[in-house]
Amino acid sequence: MPDTATSAESIITVRGLGKRYGDFQALTGVDLDVRKSEVTCLIGPSGSGKSTLLRCMNFLEAYEEGEVRLDGELIGWQEGSSGPRRPLPGRRLREQRRHIGMVFQQFNLWPHMSALENVAEALVQVQGMTKAEANGRAMAALEKVNLKDKAGNYPSALSGGQQQRVAIARAIAMEPRVILFDEPTSALDPELVGEVLNVMKAMATEGMTMVVVTHEMGFAAHVASRVAFLDHGRLVACVPPPEIFGADPADPRIRSFLQTYRERNVV
Amino acid sequence: MELDLFVRYGPALLHGFGITILCWIAGSLGGMALGFLIACIYQWSGRWIRGLLQAYIEIVRGTPFMIQLFILYYGGPHFGLLLSPVEAGIAGFVVYGSPYFAEIFRAGFASTPKGQFEAARCMGFSEWTIVRRIVLPQMLVSITAPLTNFVIILTKETAILSVVTVPELLYETQTMAAETFTYVEPFLVLSLFYWAMVEFTSWLGRRVELRVTRHLRRA
Repeated sequence: MPDTATSAESIITVRGLGKRYGDFQALTGVDLDVRKSEVTCLIGPSGSGKSTLLRCMNFLEAYEEGEVRLDGELIGWQEGSSGPRRPLPGRRLREQRRHIGMVFQQFNLWPHMSALENVAEALVQVQGMTKAEANGRAMAALEKVNLKDKAGNYPSALSGGQQQRVAIARAIAMEPRVILFDEPTSALDPELVGEVLNVMKAMATEGMTMVVVTHEMGFAAHVASRVAFLDHGRLVACVPPPEIFGADPADPRIRSFLQTYRERNVV
Repeated sequence: MELDLFVRYGPALLHGFGITILCWIAGSLGGMALGFLIACIYQWSGRWIRGLLQAYIEIVRGTPFMIQLFILYYGGPHFGLLLSPVEAGIAGFVVYGSPYFAEIFRAGFASTPKGQFEAARCMGFSEWTIVRRIVLPQMLVSITAPLTNFVIILTKETAILSVVTVPELLYETQTMAAETFTYVEPFLVLSLFYWAMVEFTSWLGRRVELRVTRHLRRA
């Protein structure tokens, strides 16, 4: 069932969200509340719209129907006015995006910059800090992900897990109100998944608001406050983890999805 | 070798060399800038503007440099465009080089992974900052060689400027040859000048390449 929590404690509210690519309806009527200091995991089969939903939240995908609000502010579109919606001017959209961090499946670190430069770059270019201030903040962020000693390394000299932790530090350093994770461990070798999940767990403990698209059911079951299950572009449920990972989930779609994981003894 | 010839014609040759260098550097930089601008506009616009830019590229690339120079220098006055030979030479170089440079930069944009743009966009970078700080340094890794290549081609295209009476190197050399009836020495020296320009360009290209590939070599 769609989330019915009051939006007072929500940071992100999604209402009636719809997105289509040509003839393909990627999302249909999605309602979701992301609450402050909680971890919300988005799970579901491939092509169910998890990543699209996540990317609508910072307008990397321009959604056509419905709305996404960050602390009440409509993301990406101009408020009000009748007729067809008009996109926000670039400057306003950039201002909104500063408060929404994002971590990608492929890390997307900038290869020509060292770990420290990757983290400090936006602080200088977007937040207008001096280089010294930015480096100080960047170093603190790298320390949080246990990579202080790799600050001078280029991404090509880091393992996948280390690269992803630099990407997380890059997001943290901006002090966003929420961080979006798009399958942050899917591109990693299995033995490197743990170090990234541990960093994310620590962030959750510190009260960072996080939205995580993931195939790591263990993480969803043990770290998430709420788990949203999507199927064919619709939100099937957004509930505390036990209601999904418990003995007998209500919805048959959830049951069949989890079956594949149970067969591999993952959950 | 009649070296005393060079004592007499040396100043004229050096002056010609100076004009050649001026047209070459101003033309290359201008053409590169215009090409980069075209590639940027192409990258951020819709179908119609892309179509127009593509037409410009095809037309300029599809006509000989000499014809373009004739049109600029001899045809220009009909449209109120009065250029001195050197001005026409530089303008001609900028126009002639721009589509080639534009195509090189366009390939550079196309080869930059989408995620590189996205990572910057979702942090609030402006598009220009993304180009300047994120995309350009990365594309230089792969486009420095073709850029160098084309600037080398342009060194030798400067000789064509003599047809619109730009007093460049070839023009001065021809004058010297015609007045003294010596051909081997002047043209040998002429070749040396071009060779020096080409060597300098490829040296510069290597330096730039070393600089922009630092992150690929150092741990």
